Amino acid sequence: MFDRDTGGARIELRALTKHYPGQPAPAVDHVDLDIPAGELVVFVGPSGCGKTTTMKMINRLVEPTSGEIRIGGEDVLSLHPDELRRHIGYAIQQVGLFPHQTIGQNIGLVPKLLGWSAARTAERVEELLTLVNLEPSAFHDRYPSQLSGGQQQRVGVARALAADPPVMLMDEPFGATDPITREHLQNEFVKLQKQLRKTIIFVTHDFEEAIKLGDRIAVLRERSHIAQYDTPANILAHPADDYVAGFIGQDATLKRLALLRVGDVECTQQRGSADMPQITSDASLREALDVMLAHGTDRCGSPSGVLTYGALCEAVGTEPASASEPTPASAARKEPVGAGPATALKEAVRR
Amino acid sequence: MNFSEYVVSRWDTLSLAAAEHALVVGIAIGVSTAVGIGIGLLTHDLPKVRGLSLAISAAILTVPSLALLTLLIPITGLGWGSTLVALTAYAFLPIIRNTVAGLRGVDAAMVEAGRGMGMGRARVLLKVRLPLAWPLILTGVRVATQMLIGIAAIAAYVDGPGLGTQIFEGLSRLGSVNALNATLAGTLGIVVIAVLFDLFFFAVRQLTIPRGLRVRP
Amino acid sequence: MTTATLRAGRTRPFGRVSGLRHVITPVILCGVLFALYAWISAQNLDSIESRSLTREFLLAKAVEHVQLTFLATALVVVVAIPLGVVASRARNRLIAPVILTVANLGQAIPCIGLLVLCTFLLGVGFQTALVGLVAYAVLPVLRNTMVGVQQVDPALIEAARGMGMTRGQVLRRVELKLAVPAILAGLRTALVLTVGVATLGAFVAAGGFGELIINGLKLNRMPVTIVGAVLTACIAFFIDWLSGLAEDLLKPRGI
Repeated sequence: MFDRDTGGARIELRALTKHYPGQPAPAVDHVDLDIPAGELVVFVGPSGCGKTTTMKMINRLVEPTSGEIRIGGEDVLSLHPDELRRHIGYAIQQVGLFPHQTIGQNIGLVPKLLGWSAARTAERVEELLTLVNLEPSAFHDRYPSQLSGGQQQRVGVARALAADPPVMLMDEPFGATDPITREHLQNEFVKLQKQLRKTIIFVTHDFEEAIKLGDRIAVLRERSHIAQYDTPANILAHPADDYVAGFIGQDATLKRLALLRVGDVECTQQRGSADMPQITSDASLREALDVMLAHGTDRCGSPSGVLTYGALCEAVGTEPASASEPTPASAARKEPVGAGPATALKEAVRR
Repeated sequence: MNFSEYVVSRWDTLSLAAAEHALVVGIAIGVSTAVGIGIGLLTHDLPKVRGLSLAISAAILTVPSLALLTLLIPITGLGWGSTLVALTAYAFLPIIRNTVAGLRGVDAAMVEAGRGMGMGRARVLLKVRLPLAWPLILTGVRVATQMLIGIAAIAAYVDGPGLGTQIFEGLSRLGSVNALNATLAGTLGIVVIAVLFDLFFFAVRQLTIPRGLRVRP
Repeated sequence: MTTATLRAGRTRPFGRVSGLRHVITPVILCGVLFALYAWISAQNLDSIESRSLTREFLLAKAVEHVQLTFLATALVVVVAIPLGVVASRARNRLIAPVILTVANLGQAIPCIGLLVLCTFLLGVGFQTALVGLVAYAVLPVLRNTMVGVQQVDPALIEAARGMGMTRGQVLRRVELKLAVPAILAGLRTALVLTVGVATLGAFVAAGGFGELIINGLKLNRMPVTIVGAVLTACIAFFIDWLSGLAEDLLKPRGI
């Protein structure tokens, strides 16, 4: 099967359609999509837009009415559905851990279905528990009801990874956790994916989550029509239409700043003065802006030099003083000479 | 004599027995509903007492009916006395259990809202918890009633009232012409009483359950 | 979480055997039986009474009672659980409500009426009582099995299907396992019901402790009746205790 190479396989959707009998319109209508191997693609859209149905057709929990699905070049619809699913990781919002089985048994389930030896399964379970930051000796023999929500989600991810599948489908896997736990799980997951490079389809209705996790984002509208399919940065910079822009919200520029690192921006090669606020090179530009605002200055020091407010604006493709976009700096021009943009920023914040 | 002829010819006896059957069950269920809901209201918040009252009523229900009825003979004699005591005792478990479950199952947010509006504990119990628990309590009473209707048939063996007399008459005259008719009349009569009681509870349900709990979106 | 609870969690995650509850019943039963023995020993029994209360006779009745109860329950398991599973699978949405309605209505048929009606078809004897008991106890077990399987969280079934379990594997490894508590509860109800109704088996000459009660009442010998009634109650409590123990041991851990 397509999982000879566990490092991720390309997924191709061709004219994929699901038409439930008795419904006037198809739930998913002629979706064409290419998902490159090893990338995490987020399906984002309002509830009921067919994103989950589209995803579930890939492991055939929903049988497509027509169209084609290929994973690693192999026609998915010609395979036996149960066999197919054993080679695709699957994590859902409700987690769905089996309460009558220990954590170890839950994770070892798919390997067992695939006929792995007991020793190999046990080894894999240990490895996965460590991977999702759960101490194997403490968690292996416990039952799901003894775990917190966040711990259960991690076990859910570990279970989906159990047989080292090249492809993973994730349906709002962090949706049911509180904001702090969710952020924590997201950060861990980003790190994990950097290491594993699986091909992942991730469904969510949270655009922030999509930006944070996705290599690419597919913004879907009703009947799973693709409104835009691009990298987070490109979608934020050039939303295809009003629908996508509405989905992004009012703070597109701030969101773009959050995507860029201080280290990615060219800094002026001069040593900053000692009283200049300092920032690390892997902090986001959004954090850098926050530091500038907090200190009432238009520049801060980083390991590679001085980061200016101007450089920050350039990085997101806006002129520091352009009127086309109401950046905080545009207010500065109305200030009397001598008062830098920083004063204006401070004023803005105070207001 | 076929079954319908039998029923027509013994109509007076049968209808009297049926009325007595319904009456004895009605009285027993009335008493144990009053007492059972009372116990539930008093004990639902006291884990130890609650556990004890549930354990005792469960133990009563474990005693086979023929055994309980005969053990009561030295105390309450043959006939109505023992029948009423046994039936009342059997009905406690479903009623107390459902009352407690219903009262405890009420959403904590609603209780808090009531308390927050300045309602006292007793008022919250009567104005918030009890109305919300009522559907479950009513189900408990209904289940208990169905059970008692069947048990009351056995009470006929200790000279109790009701349609059980017909069944035991059939049994004692096994082989005679009317044995089957009598047994059938008793058994079917009891089923009819059970259905009628069920209809009664359906009506009570419709009339007493707050509309807000019945309407479906 | 402290290490103490962690360790406790690993060895015995849930209080399987809540000690006192399982000890108290046999202690009380022994006490009651002893008191009964002492009371009977103190009575002046006439010839009829002493003939009914010999050790051999009581033992024979006990064996009959237990045989009837367990045989009926075993048959119920064989009949009701598979039927319950089939009913829970039924694609036809009509089947479940029909079964539930029949199960509830069936409960309204008085067991004594059912037993006597069986006699008209099969004559008196052990088999008649057996058929009556099985007919009476099938419905609660069937209903509990069906409801138990149907109430399994759909998210678990989706997760299982998504992992590549076949329908049969999902049924065996997930749905049935999770329905075990409900099925066991139904079986326990059936067992306690059966042990009580088995007393009525004496009316159709199937023996058991009911025979003592009936003979005592017929011959107006109260000690015999009371011994019969107390022993019936004791055996009911004993079987309830035993099934409670079995329930705790057979329940899958973790739920």
